[in-house]
Amino acid sequence: MGWSLVCPAVVILLLMTIAPTIYLLQSSFFSFTLLNPELKRFVGLQNFVQVILDPTIRHGILVTLLFVVLAVGIELIAGLILAVALAPRSLGNTIGSTVLLLPFAVTPVVSALIWRQLLNPNYGWVDYYLQRLGIIGRPIEWLSSAPTAWVAIVGLDVWQWTPFVALILMAGLQGIPKEPQEAAAVDGANAWQTFWHVTLPQLRPFIALAVLLRLVEAFKTFGTVQILTGGGPGRATELINLTLYRIGLQDFQIGAAAALGILFLILLSIIVSQLLQVLGKNTELLE
Amino acid sequence: MQRRDFLRLVACATGTAVFGGTLSSRGAKAAATKPQKLNLLYATAEADSEAVKLVLPDFASKLGIKLNLETFPYAALQQKVFAELASSSAFYDIMVVDTPWMPALTNKIEPLSSYLKNPQLNDITDPEIKDFIPAVFYDAAVFNPKKSHLHFPDSNAPVDVAEIEKQGFEIYGLPLQANVLTLAYRKDLFEDPQEQQAFQSKYGKPLSVPETWDDFVPVAEFFTRPDKRLYGTTLMAGSGDWAVDDFKTLVACWGADGHLITDDFKMSFASPEGVAALTFYSDLINKQKVTPPGVTSFSWDDVADTFNSGLTAMAMNYHDMKLNSGVKGEVAYAMVPKKVASGPHFGTWILSVNKFSKNKEWAYRAVAWLTGAEAQTKMLEKQLHPSRASVYKEAAANSSLQKDFANFYDVLGKSLAVGVGRARLSNYFDVSKVIAVAVNNAATGSQKPQAALDAALPQVKEMLKQAGYTVADN
Repeated sequence: MGWSLVCPAVVILLLMTIAPTIYLLQSSFFSFTLLNPELKRFVGLQNFVQVILDPTIRHGILVTLLFVVLAVGIELIAGLILAVALAPRSLGNTIGSTVLLLPFAVTPVVSALIWRQLLNPNYGWVDYYLQRLGIIGRPIEWLSSAPTAWVAIVGLDVWQWTPFVALILMAGLQGIPKEPQEAAAVDGANAWQTFWHVTLPQLRPFIALAVLLRLVEAFKTFGTVQILTGGGPGRATELINLTLYRIGLQDFQIGAAAALGILFLILLSIIVSQLLQVLGKNTELLE
Repeated sequence: MQRRDFLRLVACATGTAVFGGTLSSRGAKAAATKPQKLNLLYATAEADSEAVKLVLPDFASKLGIKLNLETFPYAALQQKVFAELASSSAFYDIMVVDTPWMPALTNKIEPLSSYLKNPQLNDITDPEIKDFIPAVFYDAAVFNPKKSHLHFPDSNAPVDVAEIEKQGFEIYGLPLQANVLTLAYRKDLFEDPQEQQAFQSKYGKPLSVPETWDDFVPVAEFFTRPDKRLYGTTLMAGSGDWAVDDFKTLVACWGADGHLITDDFKMSFASPEGVAALTFYSDLINKQKVTPPGVTSFSWDDVADTFNSGLTAMAMNYHDMKLNSGVKGEVAYAMVPKKVASGPHFGTWILSVNKFSKNKEWAYRAVAWLTGAEAQTKMLEKQLHPSRASVYKEAAANSSLQKDFANFYDVLGKSLAVGVGRARLSNYFDVSKVIAVAVNNAATGSQKPQAALDAALPQVKEMLKQAGYTVADN
């Protein structure tokens, strides 16, 4: 009886997850394109070697790692500040929390299109107001140089996802017991000492949850960067997903795309597991 | 009637029914059964689906078949077309195919030469293939089934099915929407007496729309007035396929093969002409500074926005331009300037018959009708970029089109006749990206043109080798 109840879920899991994974793994050892499966030939580890030796792919992986570290790092800090500010229950904070949801609710592709217009150096609002306020003398060509393009892609991600982090941390702040903080205050700890030594350790499971969810999403970033910079200028913002898309879904080189996907998955698994070990120490969430 | 006579009559009728049925079913085999519906997979905006929608009622009345049109945006369409063909799906009878996809699809698309030669299949529409602009037809529809990277040797020869077959090539569809780079300019500025006088006194020659790239530079410099928010021109220099389209146009103008990679895999993009062309391109942005801020992140969309908002006097694009309502001015068109040669980038959408369709003969008839002169002429109402010479003559005689689009169709037709397409590679997008990065790096000034192309060269060669092409190392 038990097995029969579980069976539909297992079948769906096999069909939707396990089978494609096996196909992906098998494909990575063959050289073929989607339209010429009859020319499929076993090449062993050649696809993996090709991917590892390709400097543009190595560059793409580094760009992706940098993007994830910058974006998630800033979101965590900004989210924590927002959460601390909005955690006390009041009407103003309730309204503030609701407003926070707005960028989070915008479709990423739409937000990228809007940002592209806002950052246009000829008629975008950002340069216009920066010039009106006397902060800059002439327009900044945001998407034309590597440093400013990075500000744009990280800025967009931070704008969109900081509220998500803030909401998780705010829920944590509102849920943790107040007694340890009161005890610290009685012992003479100031606000910063209380936050750093008492509140923050209690928040650790929520920080781990927020980082985990954001890491997974940040590594999957594709549409926003594709629209905002297309990986440019040059290859300065070319995330590995843009490369994977081109190899797999524009040129349909299935073997090479499968090998790249698997290598990236392995790399991600190592990074995420190590990170969680660090963050997850002494947290019930991850035990 | 006696009983015997009645039995004879019944036997005779039965025999007629049986043998007649057999004969008629043989006849039906010879002429495929007419389907009630054909499914067409099409591009939403890039190939002007509105134009096709316009003729659907005519199609139904002429062919007696319903045409079910399904459209997708570019990226999703490419994936859909490839996935359908890879899975040998018979669902879509007709598919729209962009030129760079075809080298990978030739074994999945139905060759049409035999259909074009069969009078029984041309009973509804005469395909009149000699009416197609030869350069467009050969670039978009004619491929070598065994070596899909080869172009037809003479792209200006009148279209002839027998000659195409004789040369070992096949026809994989019929062209519909043909896009090519043209030069839009602000007619009001060029015809302003004050501007003409100022130009004459500054350069000692009359102000005119540039016909050569040498003439282009002073005109672009003349109109560049950043304090008045006006620039000479704009470009598609962002890191994408559009930058390659700009660059390949210049490479052709500078006298090298505008496909960027020749049919025998010589890297013309990295030739001395290629370096000179990229240097010219980079200088427009960094030395002469005749482009607006942000041009090194622009695509064709940004070029249109910039020109339409009155920020530039000239701009190259694939389609007509419309000044925003707040900009007082007039737009006209010219062919892209020349250097030692001419070769604006072009690319054409063709309608092809799915090899796995169960209605191939009727799908062919539909393709012939949709790409025919009558349908294309009607589609002009929705701004189709026709692929037939006769339709351009119709456009020239249409005062309404002249009023709405000035001389756009005249310039479009002339530009298509001298256009240069892309290299035919199964991994075109990978190769294009490498060249786009080189163009973008030169445009931003982060690399010298020579260094940018030198860096791209080994990457492109390696990619071609990985795709199975034979490429010389030197």
